Amino acid sequence: MSERPYDPERAIAPTGAGGAMDLAASEAETLEKTPGGPEGTGPAGKPRSLWSDAWRDLRRNPVFLISALVILFLVFISLWPSAIASGSPLKCDLSKAQEGSQPGAPFGYDGQGCNVYTRTVYGARTSVTVGVCATLGVAVLGSALGSLAGFFGGTSDSFLSRVTDIFFAIPVVLGGLVLLSVVTSNTVWPVIGFMVLLGWPQIARIARGSVITAKQNDYVQAARALGASNSRILVRHIAPNAVAPVIVVATIALGTFITLEATLSYLGVGLKPPNVSWGIDISAASPYIRNAPHALLWPSGALALTVLAFIMLGDAVRDALDPKLR
Amino acid sequence: MAEPILEVSGLVKYYPLMRGILFKKQVGAVKAVDGVDFTLAKGETLGIVGESGCGKSTVAKLLCSLERPTAGSIRFKGEDITRLSGRALRAVRRNIQMVFQDPYTSLNPRMTVGDIIGEPYEIHPEAAPKGDRRRRVRELLDVVGLNPEYINRYPHQFSGGQRQRIGIARGLALRPEVIVADEPVSALDVSVQAQVINLLDRLQSEFDLSYVFIAHDLSIVRHISDRVGVMYLGRIVEIGRDAEIYDHPTHPYTQALLSAVPVPDPEAREHRERIILTGDVPSPTNIPSGCRFRTRCWKAQERCTREVPALAVPEEFRRTTGPAAHDSACHFAAEKQVVPPEAPGGHGNGPG
Amino acid sequence: MLLEVRDLQVEFRTRDGVAKAVNGVSYGVDAGETLAVLGESGSGKSVTAQAVMGILDMPPGRITGGEILFRGKDVLKLKEEERRRIRGAGMAMIFQDALSALNPVLSVGDQLGEMFVVHRGMSKKAARAKAIELMERVRIPGAAQRVGDYPHQFSGGMRQRIMIAMALALEPALIIADEPTTALDVTVQAQVMDLLADLQREYHMGLILITHDLGVVADVADRIAVMYAGKIVESAPVRDIYKAPAHPYTRGLLDSIPRLDQKGQELYAIKGLPPNLMNIPPGCAFHPRCPMAQDVCRTDVPPLYEVSEDRGSACHFWRECLHG
Repeated sequence: MSERPYDPERAIAPTGAGGAMDLAASEAETLEKTPGGPEGTGPAGKPRSLWSDAWRDLRRNPVFLISALVILFLVFISLWPSAIASGSPLKCDLSKAQEGSQPGAPFGYDGQGCNVYTRTVYGARTSVTVGVCATLGVAVLGSALGSLAGFFGGTSDSFLSRVTDIFFAIPVVLGGLVLLSVVTSNTVWPVIGFMVLLGWPQIARIARGSVITAKQNDYVQAARALGASNSRILVRHIAPNAVAPVIVVATIALGTFITLEATLSYLGVGLKPPNVSWGIDISAASPYIRNAPHALLWPSGALALTVLAFIMLGDAVRDALDPKLR
Repeated sequence: MAEPILEVSGLVKYYPLMRGILFKKQVGAVKAVDGVDFTLAKGETLGIVGESGCGKSTVAKLLCSLERPTAGSIRFKGEDITRLSGRALRAVRRNIQMVFQDPYTSLNPRMTVGDIIGEPYEIHPEAAPKGDRRRRVRELLDVVGLNPEYINRYPHQFSGGQRQRIGIARGLALRPEVIVADEPVSALDVSVQAQVINLLDRLQSEFDLSYVFIAHDLSIVRHISDRVGVMYLGRIVEIGRDAEIYDHPTHPYTQALLSAVPVPDPEAREHRERIILTGDVPSPTNIPSGCRFRTRCWKAQERCTREVPALAVPEEFRRTTGPAAHDSACHFAAEKQVVPPEAPGGHGNGPG
Repeated sequence: MLLEVRDLQVEFRTRDGVAKAVNGVSYGVDAGETLAVLGESGSGKSVTAQAVMGILDMPPGRITGGEILFRGKDVLKLKEEERRRIRGAGMAMIFQDALSALNPVLSVGDQLGEMFVVHRGMSKKAARAKAIELMERVRIPGAAQRVGDYPHQFSGGMRQRIMIAMALALEPALIIADEPTTALDVTVQAQVMDLLADLQREYHMGLILITHDLGVVADVADRIAVMYAGKIVESAPVRDIYKAPAHPYTRGLLDSIPRLDQKGQELYAIKGLPPNLMNIPPGCAFHPRCPMAQDVCRTDVPPLYEVSEDRGSACHFWRECLHG
């Protein structure tokens, strides 16, 4: 009884590709619970985090590649519009109004005789600025408030939940018409400010939910049992495990902020000329839709493509980060 | 008995049940732990068994200061740790560590194994000088039977049993004196369970540890424990040395629990008396008066609805010194052998 | 034979490769007989049962070979419509997790009654009466009062009884129970296993009990099939196997149960880990963990050797194992 022909303690250290095996094995058995079937975690041996797994996934996903290319291109032209469009978007020549495609103006001219191609290229800057800044603001404010509420719970949580309910009840377009019509500054900042004001509760809810989920994991208890402080638990253990849904929702929200800017500008309360924005152009072109549809088509197309790219990116990121598919 | 390292007395944990949205009102309480007393001697293993909802996991959390008790005290080497906070609490935590049930949720998936096992040193920088931590982590990996080269891997690259070893290494990092293990093997495959049990056994002598070992698997608890406490609905109903509990149970619940365990011996099928309890465990929000087991007990009488039986050596055994003379919270405690004596020979002469 | 599985093979195709979950499993059950399929996670015991029931997720799963004969007819060749008729009336399944297997928004009476409305064309009222009758049969106290309750209003043990009632509704000839008591407490476990055994006797059903618990097997099974890495490694009447296992894996499992005389000693532990199903070791799949392994085990796949008339072992050295 006392002597065994092997050493059970040392024997467990896996040899070769042992690392992830029993995971693969156990998953086949629990198929009802984890759709997607058994999965190996690939060749073991090199260290791999969930983030690098996600990146490996993304790199092979054509949806991600296409949307990322579109977005990179957008960022590029909003930084250096003159690289692909010569002339100023504000230099218009009424004599060329509503003219079609021609050399120097591949998209033709709009009702005011402005070069549609140049204006569409320059309009990207506004959209990207509004989208990125509003998203950043919303993500920072929303996830900070949401995680605190989720982490500490109790009264602060009930209070935050009621506040988000109130904000959800405000109709976005109507709120924009009322609030922005009293603003005199003709820059992107009031528009961004308005979006952050109305947008943060959505992120706060997501962040709160995923913090509560992450908080219930045993590793949080383990850290607490070791004596870790609240800030350490939040930063080291909860945030990295709760951030994925926030990233996904924020990416998709970025697209909707760009549409919202166009909508508000179209309604005349967002940006106003002499700013250049797709919304302004769509608004200006709509009366001439019969005679010069191209002046409406190009900025609308650019808008649609941009929003689509961000939504597709969000989808791809969600698929890559979703642990259920892993 | 050796000097006690942990003394638990009158431990109570109620979770209030709240109603209302903004203005909350207490409408009742879940009495998860409702008066638990025990001591743990140095170097000893105390097993706690019971069914789900009996409060054994809450006891584990209370011992590790993950929850604050509603009442009662937990003395570690004579000092009550339930009222500590801040620096004093952190110091105590170095000495009482926990091993969790689920090896899949107890390790942070975004951290490497080295970071997970090394985290205790970051929280308690005085435990190990900075330059020495990496070496210690490798040493710990080796101690729990894992290849130290795996220090940069992530938890999802390991199997359940290996993850449990990582969790044990993290628990050992601060050289605690007490380890509270909450169902440490119940999530593992049968063939891997024995490996982890052996590891815990070996570490106990190597590091001079005292264990509180919580589980529902009675045969594993018996194997590893010196003493065993049986919990039912928030209380210990019977406690004693392992042979006293398993071979001479005097509390009807213990007897029913032992007789219900399937025995891996088909020969025992016929000549084995099984006590099949009726009904389910009552809700911990609404605990029966008197003896809490009386609603399912075949011996229950009028007295059981009135008087709460104390956890003490029952009167009829008080003068004896036999194995039946151990603490049992029953008015009508009586010995009854329920585990059949080991089949002679069994199946094996050990592995080939 | 009521059910006969012959050389069944199932694989799962995933991003990272093909996982061979079941690699040539054969077993059979007679009416009134209880076959225990014992194995650890990843052994393929549940996947085999899902294939028999026809509830395997396909894709990613794929049955790549073999036959499943139910009353002599290969169900794999049947049309989906015909298979559906067999499910419920011919064979039924009991799952481990009753809470997720029952529909939370329908009362248990409606769920039990639905079987009679759909399969037997009964009126709602008659179906309700049948539901109460079934609940009484599985010994749910106060069945007539509780028939309108929802699954979450029942305790775990009671829910498992409702699952059993549902499986029994159409009086199937075969019941497959996949870890039916694993999620339950010991005292409730005993109640449920008792009930299942009684009902099986009463209806003379075939029962396939899928479990990892050697104790449960010893208590109720007639025959036992031990699975490892998608194969049956040992198949025998239950008494024989506990007396003298003829496969080192079975022996290892039995030896790793803590026994009284081992107190204070090291437990026997099977070394290593179950294999990766995408990369099953050549030869005998158990050889890297086997204390008896020889060179031949690394190269030659052991067939299921006949140990005795009703007993088989897939070990080249079954004789040595059997005689210790």
